[in-house]
Amino acid sequence: MGYPEKYPAKYPQLNEMEFTDTARQILIRILRVAFPHEGFPDGPYERQADQIFELANESTWFRIKLTQGIATLNDLAGGSFLGLDDQSATKVLKHVEHTDFFGFIRRTTILNMYEDEAVWEVLGYEGPSFDKGGYVDRGFNDLDWLPDPRVEESQEEFVEIVSDLPVTSGAAPGTDQPTGDAARSSHPGVASTTADQNLTEDN
Amino acid sequence: MAQISQDEASVVIIGSGAGGGTLAYELTRAGIPVVVLEAGPHLRNEDYMNLEWEAFNQMAWLDPRTTSGSWRIATDFPNLPAWLVKAVGGTTTHWSGATPRFKAHEFRTRSVYGRVEGANLLDWPITLEELAPYYDRAEKAMGSTHRHGRPPLPANNNYKVLAGGAEKVGYRHYATGPYATNAEPYDGRPATVQDGFNFQGDKNGSKWSTLVRELPRAGETGLLDLRPESQAVQITHGKDGKVDAVIYLDSEGNLHRQAAKVVCVAGNSIETPRLLLMSASSLFPDGLANSSGQVGRNYMRHTTGSVYARFEKEVRMYRGETMSGLIADESRHDPSRGFVGGYYLQMISLGPAFLASFIEPGAWGKEFTELMDAYSRTAGLWIVGEDMPQETNRVTLNSTVQDRHGLPVPDVHFDDHANDVAMREHAYAQSDRVYEAVGALGTHHTPPYPSTHNLGTSRMSERPEDGVTDRWGRTHDVPNLFVSDGSLFTTGAAANPTLTIVALAIRQAEFLVEQLRTGAL
Ligand SMILES: Cc1cc2nc3c(=O)[nH]c(=O)nc-3n(C[C@H](O)[C@H](O)[C@H](O)COP(=O)(O)OP(=O)(O)OC[C@H]3O[C@@H](n4cnc5c(N)ncnc54)[C@H](O)[C@@H]3O)c2cc1C
Repeated sequence: MGYPEKYPAKYPQLNEMEFTDTARQILIRILRVAFPHEGFPDGPYERQADQIFELANESTWFRIKLTQGIATLNDLAGGSFLGLDDQSATKVLKHVEHTDFFGFIRRTTILNMYEDEAVWEVLGYEGPSFDKGGYVDRGFNDLDWLPDPRVEESQEEFVEIVSDLPVTSGAAPGTDQPTGDAARSSHPGVASTTADQNLTEDN
Repeated sequence: MAQISQDEASVVIIGSGAGGGTLAYELTRAGIPVVVLEAGPHLRNEDYMNLEWEAFNQMAWLDPRTTSGSWRIATDFPNLPAWLVKAVGGTTTHWSGATPRFKAHEFRTRSVYGRVEGANLLDWPITLEELAPYYDRAEKAMGSTHRHGRPPLPANNNYKVLAGGAEKVGYRHYATGPYATNAEPYDGRPATVQDGFNFQGDKNGSKWSTLVRELPRAGETGLLDLRPESQAVQITHGKDGKVDAVIYLDSEGNLHRQAAKVVCVAGNSIETPRLLLMSASSLFPDGLANSSGQVGRNYMRHTTGSVYARFEKEVRMYRGETMSGLIADESRHDPSRGFVGGYYLQMISLGPAFLASFIEPGAWGKEFTELMDAYSRTAGLWIVGEDMPQETNRVTLNSTVQDRHGLPVPDVHFDDHANDVAMREHAYAQSDRVYEAVGALGTHHTPPYPSTHNLGTSRMSERPEDGVTDRWGRTHDVPNLFVSDGSLFTTGAAANPTLTIVALAIRQAEFLVEQLRTGAL
């Protein structure tokens, strides 16, 4: 990667550091560049950054990776990652995309940022619905730019095997051999359907 | 609820999902007391949540597993080969409800497809004709729409797009089912409220699961001893080579022993072979019932993939039933397409949380956020087709890592067969055609999710050297040991598996009842 490797310290005190507000600004900027959604307000990105810091605080390994990664981004940016425009910042992230540092940020974000109400609102997702009675009376079928399709099965015959090749008999139980047009049924997979409405005693 | 003594040699069922739950109901109904050991907790419909990750965390099997092989899952989700439930009711609490039957030739693939290089194809020891009456019973039990007088579900938004495209490209065999969720009240359960949270457990109870139907009914007989948070870790046997007990862990990690006269394993296709392999002994050095060497082999997961299409106008695919719609035209066997076997295209919807995680694992930047920004204008489908059984696709015990109980973690090894790849490519292309026919602005090909259909690891075979169990699911090697879940599948067919698992379990129960009645067991 072209930067000096930094290893876990011999004495844990050496790792007792806190992320500064600048680190937070950089992380938020990383998230904005890596997950650019024009419509998203700041909230989801800020909450995501804070969650990443929380996770990093629980794990020395990730804390070191994060500290190191942020420093590296500034190096790669020739001073300040925060000073880069979107395009240049994306290029810098491309450089580190296969590092544990970026992988940790990416995975954590993918797995969390999209279960956020502010995000849902922008994406047009309505979240939990059972408490509101589901969508049965709230537009589960309100798409109106296509015709209403058939919901029943087709009565046209279904050809299960299409083949002009001879069928080898092998060790098949029984002697019936399907040929090109021998295997047909009206519903795929259903040879016959009984129309009894009642649950039999059997079940 | 019955309380059966741990010393009483009983019928013991391991797992309470599609296979185990059905078997428990059928046996207790016939007057046979059973102990059901279920590794997970007893969640109920009111416990479920309308949040994707929280529900997953509540329901899913999260004990560690490892992966190997060239499938993308091993890179993207190395510790999550499969998407399964650890709770009473098993994965039927998570499933969505598509219930197509197998076709006649799908029980006879070795004969009909011929020899396929690298594939371990084998004809089932049973035929569609034999299974048909049990399919009828399973469909009635599960309340499959479009069958036995059950009305179809209405079209939701996602279906309108799928069916509209299907019609335009000349497909004929599309419909909103068969789908095991009530369109109208049935069997004591209400009609769906179309809340869109099938995968999260369905709070309304409209979707069939063994949690809402078979297990409570088995309980009403007074003959069911259901033990949640009881994970079987070993099946033991006597000198005669017959199984005689199941050792299991309770929630505190204490070991118990339940004496058994019959053991039926229904832990789904990763845990079932794991348990058989962990039960190796001097008499069965390669694992219980594994004289064929086929335990854990021929692991199948269906050839899958998803296509998400973006449109100009709103779709709101998340409103309503998650998977109530399919196109069956490609489920035929037609080698002129460049592969054997067939596939279905079934509608699917994910919320933003899951979509972000699965649509293109590893992606970031504009190419990723553009997909997400189109969320409300997106329609989705899922490809499900027959994959080739391969001996080397396999569940083994990982000798290098163990879980918190000190048990070996299962490793799931999978490589796509060339036939699987050809089928998936064909399905992606056809899906594009379907969506483009109704004006898609763009489509995205999503790779397979962690496996929801796990099959084949203790397959049925006519001859003991070809597989693990006989035509009834009884192991070839041990006369009082049965396998009762999707591990039984000799081959996978194009159809979603659960209807067939239930039909096989009903049939197996009948056999068991008869054997127990005549004293043969
Ligand atoms: C999101 C999703 C959608 C799906 N949609 C469909 C669909 O539309 N149609 C379809 O046909 N199928 C669908 N499926 C698949 C379906 O859920 C499974 O095929 C079916 O549940 C498998 O039944 P089973 O009995 O083999 O195992 P499960 O239903 O998984 O039951 C196994 C049970 O055994 C327990 N267990 C495992 N090991 C042990 C042990 N050692 N001791 C005690 N208990 C143990 C587990 O905790 C679990 O409860 C879907 C699955 C998922 C995840």
